Amino acid sequence: MKKLYSNKLVITSLILPGILVFIFAILAPICLSVYYGFTDYSGMGKAEWIGMENYQKLMHDSTFWKSLWHSLLLAVGFICIQHPLAMIVAAILDKLQGKAEGFFRCVYFIPNVISVAVIAYLWKFIYNPDFGLLNNILKAFGYTGKINWFDSKIAIWSVLVVLIWHGFGWGMLIYYTGIKNIDPVLYEAAAIDGANQRQTFLKITLPQMKSVIQVNVTMAIISALKQMETVYLLTNGGPGDSTQFTANYLYQQAFKAFKYGYGNAISVVFIIICILVTVVLNTIFAERAEKGKAVR
Amino acid sequence: MRKKVLTTMLSMTLAIGAIAGCTLAASAEEEVTLKVFSNLPDRKNGQGLVEQMIIDEYMEANPNVTIEVEALDEEAYKTKFKAYAMDGMPDVVSIWGQPAFLDEVLDAGVLAELNEEDYADYKFIEGSLEGFKKDGNLYGLPRNTDVAVIYYNQKMFEDNGWSVPETYDDLLALAGTIREAGMIPMAMDGGDGWPMAVYLSDLVEKINGSTNEIFADAIANADFTADALKEACELMVESAEAGLFQDGYDSQDYGTAMNLFTNGQAAMFYMGSWEASMALNEDIPEEIRTNIRVFTMPVVENGAGSANDIAAWNGGGYAVSASSEVKEEAIKFLNYMYQPDKLSKYGWENGVGMSAQDQSEYMTGDETELQKQIVEIVNNATSVSGTPINDCGPSAFKASIESAIQSMTNGTSTVDEFLSVIAEACK
Repeated sequence: MKKLYSNKLVITSLILPGILVFIFAILAPICLSVYYGFTDYSGMGKAEWIGMENYQKLMHDSTFWKSLWHSLLLAVGFICIQHPLAMIVAAILDKLQGKAEGFFRCVYFIPNVISVAVIAYLWKFIYNPDFGLLNNILKAFGYTGKINWFDSKIAIWSVLVVLIWHGFGWGMLIYYTGIKNIDPVLYEAAAIDGANQRQTFLKITLPQMKSVIQVNVTMAIISALKQMETVYLLTNGGPGDSTQFTANYLYQQAFKAFKYGYGNAISVVFIIICILVTVVLNTIFAERAEKGKAVR
Repeated sequence: MRKKVLTTMLSMTLAIGAIAGCTLAASAEEEVTLKVFSNLPDRKNGQGLVEQMIIDEYMEANPNVTIEVEALDEEAYKTKFKAYAMDGMPDVVSIWGQPAFLDEVLDAGVLAELNEEDYADYKFIEGSLEGFKKDGNLYGLPRNTDVAVIYYNQKMFEDNGWSVPETYDDLLALAGTIREAGMIPMAMDGGDGWPMAVYLSDLVEKINGSTNEIFADAIANADFTADALKEACELMVESAEAGLFQDGYDSQDYGTAMNLFTNGQAAMFYMGSWEASMALNEDIPEEIRTNIRVFTMPVVENGAGSANDIAAWNGGGYAVSASSEVKEEAIKFLNYMYQPDKLSKYGWENGVGMSAQDQSEYMTGDETELQKQIVEIVNNATSVSGTPINDCGPSAFKASIESAIQSMTNGTSTVDEFLSVIAEACK
């Protein structure tokens, strides 16, 4: 067996499929994107090399910066609202035990099972100023006015609520699995020492979940940056550009405005931002891990 | 010995495979499969039904031809069209005879040239082929004559004592009255952007008396400071502020806006004449569908356009792919569709609005009131606007104006900002 693994031909044949997939599905499209980013390609016909023009234009494109800001807002929303809530709910679920635990676990995960298209239309109807559920509930409480939830001033918040709600189940499920993996002996020891629920959560659950939190936060930030389909179906970035997100803007420029070259320039900047964010996050978490080890 | 047996077996398999392949190839020559890519996903109502009827008839008349239809709604259609343009187009495709769509498509050379002389007897309305030409060559055929109209619920108007507005000021006053009665004056598909751009073009027609020249100049020079354009924009902002459209119109899509009207929540609905089939759509309550009537944009005070200068154009149509392997059959099918007793006649019978071909001989007198009204509007027209502003420029301009017009009407940006943003998109 050992001899087999030292045979270079065997090694090559084992890693070749992976490398090929990487080259053709990831590396080649990225290289093509970089190339097209320097052209005025419309998606059809010939592409002409225009150097840095797309990037120069991008630097002054207010919609692009606005969409990036919205992606950032979403990432903050995920980290500060969705994840703390998801973790608390996961901890409560863990304590529930029995049938209730399974029931609520399913209920909280339902939004993730439903197709994005259905979610988007569901919320479109909930937010509708004339016949929407939300305004009707307000009416039942005596509010007589009509709130336009997609008014350009507040639309971004309405969209954020949907996105945070929609992704909640995933976050919760991962935290829930993390909690389930904590050794119950720790809780028993804490109980013997007389620790209350709050102390148990803060001193045992949270520290034990560190690696899960790291993975979840990284995934949340990346998914915030990549956000596209829900926004596309819910508002398509409108009214105006008030709910525009980077990935949706990229799509619109490439496929609606027929500015394929410009769309690729956005995607290149977008990839760089994603890589930077991942590197920064990894560094932060690595530093923390080092510090943790040093303290121990 | 063993080796010999194996070799013989392998050779035999090869021979059988080759023979089977040849037989298949021989039968494939007789069978033709035509791929039709359509922007009409509803195959049971309106235009989609008409298209499907003709396809079924063609397959019946030509048993060796199988037609496969792929239908997507407009936006998804345009996206996939582009993907196809890069990687081989289906044989027959829906297209739009407007610069925003057709310029890039023709530059890429993906559509087959048609022989204009073939269509001399097809009764196309004069000028309707122009949008489908480049350098004098014809690349597609128009399907409809589209008219921008305001549908209204006649019964609702009569019950409440409202009358059809004569001037734009009357329309704004009526909007206030309807609001006071607790209803929505006009349902507007503002989420998509293009209906508002059509509305703006309609206002320019009423203010300026024509649009072709003013739009072409503005787009060519990237300068939208013409008085008529500015006035139309200001009027549109004023209308939105006066509550003419439903709350949240700028984020609501086609279906939602139309539902507001067909459910009786909105008194009027701004849309193209292709929705005249509402009068025959049994999904709409009878009390509403039989009372749908229509009027055109009221005249604007001191405007050069009269009540009979209407916003109308020849929009959608069909073309054949230049790379089609069955081009001959595809053109044969295209010509079959455009025989005057097909698209035009069936369209008329199904209340799909006006075709781009002369339909007068198919009028039976049994048409819906709505159809008769639209025919009257077109027959009485003293001038037609041509392509709406959003479709007059390149795609980048179209994408920009359809988004920026939302920001302008909802007050996020000013009229001047709007005009400079769309000018920028033309550069």
